[in-house]
Amino acid sequence: MAKTTKKTANKKTVPTVSVIPESPLTFEKPAKFNQVNHSLTKIDAMGLVCGQQKYVADVDFNDMLHVKVLGSPHAHAEIKSIDIAAALKVEGVVAIYTWKDVPRVPRTTAGQGFPEPSPYDTYLLDKKVRFVGDRVAIVAAETPEAANEACSKIKVQYKVLKPVFDPEKAMDKGAPVIHDEKDCRVPIPIFYDPKRNHCSHVETAVGDVKKGFKDADIVLEKKYYPHYAQHCPIEPHTCMAYLDEYDRIVLRTSTQVPFHARRITAQTLGIPVKKIRVIKPRIGGGFGTKQEVLLEDVCALVTLRTRRPCIWALTRAEEFMAARTRHPMVCTIKSGVKKDGTITAISMRIISNTGAYGSHALTVLSNCGSKVLPLYRAENIEFIGDTVYTNLPVGGAYRGYGATQAAYAMECQMDEMAEAIGMDPIKFRQKNHIKEGESSPIFKALGEGREGVDMAIGSCGLDKCITEGMKKIDWKKKYGKTGNGTKKRGIGMCCLMQGSSIPEIDMGAVFIKMNEDGSFNMLLGATDLGTGSDTVLAQIAAETLGCKLEDMMVYSSDTDMTPFDVGAYASSTTYLTGGAVITTAKKVREQIEAVAAKMLDEKPENITIENGVCYGKGKKNSVTFGQVCVFSLYEHQQFQIGAIGSHISHASPPPFSAHFAEVEVDTETGEVKLLKYVAGVDCGTAINPTLADGQTQGAVMNAISFALTEEYIFDDNGRMLNPNFGNYKIWSTKDMPEIDTFLVPTYEKTGPYGAKSVSEISINGALPAIGNAIKNAVGVRLTHPPYTAEKVLAAIKELKNDAGKAKAKPAKAAKTTKKVATKAAAAAKTSKKATAKKPAAKKAPAKKAPAKKVAAKKPAKAKAVSKKSKK
Amino acid sequence: MLKKLTQFYYPETIEEACKYLGKKGEKTAVVAGGTSEALRQDNSIEALVDISRVKELNYIRKDSSIYRIGATTPIQDIYKCSDLKGPSGEILKYTAGKIGSTLLRNSITAGGNLAAIFPWSDLPPVYLALDAEVVLRKGKPKRTVPVENLINERPNKFLGENEIIAEIAVPVYGKGTGTSFVKFAKTANDYSMITVATRVTLKSGKIEQARIALNAVTISPVRIKDAEKILEGQKPTSDLIAEAAAKTAEKAEIRKDFRASKEYKREVLEVLVRRSLEEALEMAKK
Amino acid sequence: MKLNTRINGKDYCLEINPNAMLVDVLRQAGLKSVKFGCGEGSCGCCAVMIDGKPRNSCITLAGLAEGAEILTVEGMGNPQEPHALQQAFVDSGSTQCGYCNPGSLIAAKALLDSNPNPSAEDVKDALDGNLCRCTGYVKRIDAVLSAAKAMKKSKKTSRGKK
Repeated sequence: MAKTTKKTANKKTVPTVSVIPESPLTFEKPAKFNQVNHSLTKIDAMGLVCGQQKYVADVDFNDMLHVKVLGSPHAHAEIKSIDIAAALKVEGVVAIYTWKDVPRVPRTTAGQGFPEPSPYDTYLLDKKVRFVGDRVAIVAAETPEAANEACSKIKVQYKVLKPVFDPEKAMDKGAPVIHDEKDCRVPIPIFYDPKRNHCSHVETAVGDVKKGFKDADIVLEKKYYPHYAQHCPIEPHTCMAYLDEYDRIVLRTSTQVPFHARRITAQTLGIPVKKIRVIKPRIGGGFGTKQEVLLEDVCALVTLRTRRPCIWALTRAEEFMAARTRHPMVCTIKSGVKKDGTITAISMRIISNTGAYGSHALTVLSNCGSKVLPLYRAENIEFIGDTVYTNLPVGGAYRGYGATQAAYAMECQMDEMAEAIGMDPIKFRQKNHIKEGESSPIFKALGEGREGVDMAIGSCGLDKCITEGMKKIDWKKKYGKTGNGTKKRGIGMCCLMQGSSIPEIDMGAVFIKMNEDGSFNMLLGATDLGTGSDTVLAQIAAETLGCKLEDMMVYSSDTDMTPFDVGAYASSTTYLTGGAVITTAKKVREQIEAVAAKMLDEKPENITIENGVCYGKGKKNSVTFGQVCVFSLYEHQQFQIGAIGSHISHASPPPFSAHFAEVEVDTETGEVKLLKYVAGVDCGTAINPTLADGQTQGAVMNAISFALTEEYIFDDNGRMLNPNFGNYKIWSTKDMPEIDTFLVPTYEKTGPYGAKSVSEISINGALPAIGNAIKNAVGVRLTHPPYTAEKVLAAIKELKNDAGKAKAKPAKAAKTTKKVATKAAAAAKTSKKATAKKPAAKKAPAKKAPAKKVAAKKPAKAKAVSKKSKK
Repeated sequence: MLKKLTQFYYPETIEEACKYLGKKGEKTAVVAGGTSEALRQDNSIEALVDISRVKELNYIRKDSSIYRIGATTPIQDIYKCSDLKGPSGEILKYTAGKIGSTLLRNSITAGGNLAAIFPWSDLPPVYLALDAEVVLRKGKPKRTVPVENLINERPNKFLGENEIIAEIAVPVYGKGTGTSFVKFAKTANDYSMITVATRVTLKSGKIEQARIALNAVTISPVRIKDAEKILEGQKPTSDLIAEAAAKTAEKAEIRKDFRASKEYKREVLEVLVRRSLEEALEMAKK
Repeated sequence: MKLNTRINGKDYCLEINPNAMLVDVLRQAGLKSVKFGCGEGSCGCCAVMIDGKPRNSCITLAGLAEGAEILTVEGMGNPQEPHALQQAFVDSGSTQCGYCNPGSLIAAKALLDSNPNPSAEDVKDALDGNLCRCTGYVKRIDAVLSAAKAMKKSKKTSRGKK
């Protein structure tokens, strides 16, 4: 059904040739874990805490140039002229490039598999600017100060164009067209209509949604507005370029996707891939924003043209304004539920705001459906999504990737549904959530730029996440006990799922070779952005080879030295590249066994391996790994013990999670204090439980400040007013609530040693869990996060006002259904600050408020609602 | 960013510092922690006079009935000072701990927090609530003036060219006085959106003296005297406190910024002043 | 102008621009553990100890460090002989991307220097200027507490030996 997939769905059948390896569908479970499922020390940790590990900027060149890119002051404008004469005169300025000086190649900055499911709508430099901070000119100078000064002296004449900021109006007739250039296009056959600012469209349905609503006792419809956010890696995007001894360009860069970065840089500059080497050293966090090729093209250009090394690091303000963000969205959910808790139908409609460029526009959108809708059983489901261009900061990959936005809407809606039928929200979820052995038609219906992959749930520990979490938050004792006084307490929860890699699209590869002391070099294409994937993958290798972690030496993410890997995204590294590690290590182990057998005069199948020692039958004789390698390198029938292996996955098993939040709401100020947060995660086998737990804790804290304090505040011209840590508030140690995270082990047989993904899922919880807790405490449903004190207080006051009005008109208040509806309409209203919408759009909140409609068996009404909200 | 800066002076005495500041033909500025100078990016300054080595400016001590805080004392030292006690000492410590982060508190000095007043400078409203004075030095000569005068006339205008803030002198209040500081912000180390400092001094069951000082919500630290008058001479009741809080909200000139609407700030200000006064009263009654 | 300082126990005489920030000067002098994160004193990854006090080097003019004693994590320990805090960060899994670690370790060391028996609240208070986006801080707080214990223990045993 998916419109996006029609043409790509028909895969060509490649004749099976023996040299093309088949990735295994499942991995066997060993009797005992020796290296995995142990919290071994992260291999780079000691170097990091001693300041010995090098990040991009931590190496020097004597003749380094400093790059600075002039950003646009306008949200939408044409560049009439650029005068660089004065800027060139600034002492130390070496080169300035404008759109006239560089090749014009439409491409995407999204570091995705090729051909990318994102539109080719971005240029190295263009004569049009589409958001505040968009590239205008590139300056290279001897010092950062000179580069800055030169930027201030570039005289640009703009023809300012009318901008569009409201995603719900971007597709209106007569709206300013952001991509009116002729050459923007999509590289794969998917929907794309830039003339209407319509960047992508996804539509799918299973069952009969109309019938589903008809069968419902209650139908609810509500709009949710998840907001802008930035990843805030503490290391800003940084890239260094230099020419090597062979006159090739080396890019030392903070990227999550070295191979995509190489490909896209080559594409942008029109040079062959072989001219470029990308090295990812240690990097200071990514969270998705470094899955984007933002600096590499510029640095490569400067070095190619000047023949000098250069470095460019974004300032924090640039990081906020011109790097990538979480796509803000308008999520409309209409759901039908029976009084017994059966969900009869779910309709999810999304308008995603991708800002000025369509990076990850389609895939973030489709993930809204594919990573959220399968969680609950419903026979009738519909998903309609649109991504629109606006003249605001650009969306991109951000941990959670669409699931964050849609899970917020869905999990709030779940509480609303439970409330509407008078069922406990946890019981309601327990009754409906997907279980082991079950499948969802959504898996096949929604892929990433093409059809998805059908699969059944092989492992699900969600039940235990829920029951354990309930105990930890003391649910039974606390739920609904708001307390007296002006400060009210409440608790809320949510359930989550994500995926593990993009099935049959993503690939990871590994090379392992043996050394004569029995150690191994493992070369990984995979990208450790601080997550510990180098360690986790080394543990998997050590487990398979039969040695210890300390005998694995890992080198990763260097396009010259390591085999290919798609990179760190889509919750894939452990699950996907882990599979490649097992495949490769097995081959190496077979070679070791063969050599050991020769040395011990045994049959290879009789060799057993323990702790780096090969034993003959009955353990009567043995040789060490070191001896095996010395033998193979120096003594007889010499060869290098080593192998390369790749892996693709055929499934994307979801990890599951339940999150719980306890809040205290100050009803006089609206301030929300988060008292406690509990998160339980089923990630299959945790290869390294401490690191897995660390992923959960990090994601939880990120999500909490996203829910409560992080927000983009814009002026009327689309300029972000708070692009710094002083005003964009991510939390510090002093803000922490009590945090309790735990893992629920399951075994996922399609994953390496039973592993599923862990890193993304827990960022999706705080928005709905805290939202539900606030509702529990003070009865208001907030649909425009973050839940700032001002918005909470406004909602509380509206609720009071409505209660007052309801009292005044007892006849109307008598109808329960109406009462709920008014409440919802009230809460839907929000502050004008939070979103990027123009005030005009806000003037009639009552009319605009989507208002959940409660209709007891009134299908006619439900229909009317769906019509009204359609454009 | 300080493009014209060519040198630093490192005086060891106040006299020496003032001499450098008064140097003719050179645009100088005084620094200690240097945070505001670093961020202000003034491109006219030619030399900086670093007074952090002037030992006679770094101290917290108690003279009879006054806490004396040297100008270069880091805010962190105030926060961690175990000698600061009672209604004055506690509010100073508590407020100091609410400023920035540990790393910033080690750089920000008591004098700096007063000399470069930002809407979010948290200690100045406390000084106002405590009727603190500031000691200014021009070499040897010194003058002692109420902090309020310095703030009202803006420190950069009030101070002579070769004059520095040397000390903040805070009266020690004893039994019968209560103080309270409230900072309303998004996170612990956020800039304040609303800052309230109050003091209530009781005498024979009546409020002898009341202070309500604000910052952040207003453009600069300010006392709301109309509200204080409501309290003074009266028996403290919750109605009276509510009235004073309402008056504060009515009289305060609310600053416009992107943190929240003026209406919201005004509404919450009233709540916070009421709570602050209640807290101060509680302490005063102990 | 010239800047005379002592960094990690070694004397330096550095030629600097008068308006240079300490973070840049230290990095140019080879102390690459000192990171740049925000340039406004908000994130703490540039924190170094200046005369025993942890401060943001990105908003500290280098000239203010004239004659000062500076400590960075390079001076705290190395992989062969790590400081108890470095070891505790490693053991507890407090390190993910590690970019904020040097600044955090400096702040933690300052805490333990003045308060060898901190509570969890003390640790939260002392590390409040060191933003971390990876870890959620939970393990880091445990790490500082366990380092404090380890340091006390080793003090006892070394005293016992004497």
